[in-house]
Amino acid sequence: MIPPNNYLYEMVRSELSWAVGDDHVQTGDADKLGHSIDYYWVPEVWHDRGQKLPPPDFVVYPASAKEVSEILKIANTHKIPVIPWGGGSGSQGGALPIYGGIVMDMKRMNKVLNIDPASMTATAETGINTQHLEWAIEKAGFSTMHFPASIACATLGGFIANRGTGVLSTKYGKIEDMVMTLEVVTPSGEIINTLPVPRHASGPDLTQLFLGSEGTLGVVTKATIKIHPIPESRKFHAFLFKTMHEAMIAGSKIMTSRLRPCVIRLYDEPETAKLIKRVLGIDKKGAYLVFGFDGPAQIVDLELEQACAICREKDHEDLGTEMGQAWWDHRYKFFYPPYMFHLPQAFGTLDTVATFANIEKVYWAMKNVVHENFPQAAFIGHFSHWYEWGCMLYARFIIEAPPKDPHEAVALYNKIWDMAIRAAIKEGGVINEHHGVGLKLGRIMKELYGPAFKVLEDIKKTLDPNNIMNPGKMGFPSKGI
Amino acid sequence: MHMDKHQDVIAACRFCFMCRHLDPVGNVTFQESDTPRGRALILDTIRMKNESLRNRDFIATIYRSALSGANRYHCVSHYDEVGLVLAARKDIVEAGLAPENVKALTETLSRATFTVKGKGTTLYYGDHLELYPGCKIVSGGDPGKALEVLGFGDDSQKVFDRFRSAVVASKCTTLIVAEPSAYDFLKDKFDGIEVVHCSEHLLSGKWKAKPARKAFYLESDFLKNYDGNPAAPRELLARYGYTLTLFGTNNEESYSVGEGAVVFDELNPGLCEKLCRRVYDLAGNLKTALFITPSRYVKATLTKYNPQIRVMTLEEAVAQRKEQ
Repeated sequence: MIPPNNYLYEMVRSELSWAVGDDHVQTGDADKLGHSIDYYWVPEVWHDRGQKLPPPDFVVYPASAKEVSEILKIANTHKIPVIPWGGGSGSQGGALPIYGGIVMDMKRMNKVLNIDPASMTATAETGINTQHLEWAIEKAGFSTMHFPASIACATLGGFIANRGTGVLSTKYGKIEDMVMTLEVVTPSGEIINTLPVPRHASGPDLTQLFLGSEGTLGVVTKATIKIHPIPESRKFHAFLFKTMHEAMIAGSKIMTSRLRPCVIRLYDEPETAKLIKRVLGIDKKGAYLVFGFDGPAQIVDLELEQACAICREKDHEDLGTEMGQAWWDHRYKFFYPPYMFHLPQAFGTLDTVATFANIEKVYWAMKNVVHENFPQAAFIGHFSHWYEWGCMLYARFIIEAPPKDPHEAVALYNKIWDMAIRAAIKEGGVINEHHGVGLKLGRIMKELYGPAFKVLEDIKKTLDPNNIMNPGKMGFPSKGI
Repeated sequence: MHMDKHQDVIAACRFCFMCRHLDPVGNVTFQESDTPRGRALILDTIRMKNESLRNRDFIATIYRSALSGANRYHCVSHYDEVGLVLAARKDIVEAGLAPENVKALTETLSRATFTVKGKGTTLYYGDHLELYPGCKIVSGGDPGKALEVLGFGDDSQKVFDRFRSAVVASKCTTLIVAEPSAYDFLKDKFDGIEVVHCSEHLLSGKWKAKPARKAFYLESDFLKNYDGNPAAPRELLARYGYTLTLFGTNNEESYSVGEGAVVFDELNPGLCEKLCRRVYDLAGNLKTALFITPSRYVKATLTKYNPQIRVMTLEEAVAQRKEQ
């Protein structure tokens, strides 16, 4: 962090102004405050308890890859951290300027550059808000089929940086399945493009290297993604099972029988009792399972019938299409206040992913470790984003009254994360499925990867020898405090 | 502090991102502070540390809000972030911290006086008396809404009192209001005098079928996001042959270039121009596109920054068709 009374501050500001123009270098308190807090619980509680948050020195708004390149060259000259910022809605602290430096807010780079109906692809700058992107694609008669809960706030680049996903991922994939090719500005300021298509035998896949790199290996400035026709039909159906286990058997059978639902969601008994009741008004005991299919109407009807037949093999209550459609209609409502958990509660989304053979073991390992060690914490979860081989667990812990002292509160919070994630890893899970690593989970990366982490570290050192890119995130070295 | 009445909004919005895609100012400045979350964070900081109210950057941000109401309308819980910002403006004013340009504007607005002319039992407040035969007209400036949104509640009340005196003296029992901001302000202010929007009144008149004409309808922030989104303006335009098409890519964003803040262009001309440019960019061919807005503010502002744009107010659109 450069003290504002140090004349070096003005030297750097002048250079940044050359790169992007005076109007696009912000140093005011209002914008610095907005860029000091993302959707991570720790800065929220820090702010709430009146603690000082580390602000950026500068917030810059580039309008092109060339301007991004210029900013990175300036940062390398002065060895100043650069933190790419999309919508700021990440939950892992990945965009926090923990060492000050330059927050590079990408939202001026918000153009849809091309829609290719022949190939069904669209190319856009990565600062575009994903709802704006979807609206633009819909106006052209297509859809991204990317409908995350954060569609209103996150940017395309944010999803790419964190391997994000949307509710229809089971059919249309996560962002890493949607991307065709990327334009990236490397930490040294070079503008590069990855190969134009995602399937090839022309060496390792650089596109996948930058996907999920969380701004530590460069800045993704442009992306070409797949787009899709608007489906003729989309239908949902819901069932209630006595236990989560029975529902899991039904859900996994839908996937392993190679039906192609666009979505499956399975809520465990506590979350069914708490959130499904509160948001959808379904007041029943058991595990709520909803799924949907989309595409040509005849195929949708046939697949839906097959999936329902699988569910009817187990002891169930058929909630019908209406209770399935209600979930779709209210799918984002879970994330608006007051439905979303909020301070003074302490809460965290312990999301992970594992094979069908392991996913229930992961669930119970996490749940048991939370209950045994933190009796003040509730544990709820649902399974979303299903694959042919397994599914994602969106588990959450909630503490109604965490310690008042912010240091104690954060220490407790971190302890829950450490124990729960380690329990998940032991049973075949990973530290995250679609929110990323960020500041929150970087300390566990070496444990997760083992000796393979050195490969990532070596890539980081090669691309970013001055460690300017988002230092201290994803388990990579910090700048020192 | 007035903000204290809006603690629920601060608590809900300060860490929430769910409507940020709809903030008209945030969509052109791209600044985190120009979103409901950003403003709520600022006001939360002031809540915890009252001396932060003096921060000039915070004050400027609060006066940069376009108060469109689109965010509140979108929110599933309809948290009143606009109400919070208006409360903060009152606190700023009462602490003697209003920016100089706001104070200068206030002096002008406070001088408004009102006169009534003509004969009739219905009173009209607008610019197109020819559409309202048999009506009297009241004129003289903004009836207090602008001062209210700037945070000058007492001054607003004084201007309104003068407006009310003129209306009462007219002995009319119905007041037709054209400008949506004034309609929003006046509709619940009178006892014994019915306040109606001009579209409701014009809809009750006779008309002749007209050939179809395509137009973009720019929604009014007040009518859509504050006043229950009445169908009358669209029905009226349809009756006069206008085929309204969706402007932009969606029907949630506000394209009314600061109408919600009433005097937005006077306060923030550079920013207002950016809001206008967003409309021009989305419009495609400005020479062929026709825009209709219920607000003369919107028309004046859009034509100020690009005279090529073809914009009519709702009343002008009706008047033109009546003449044909």
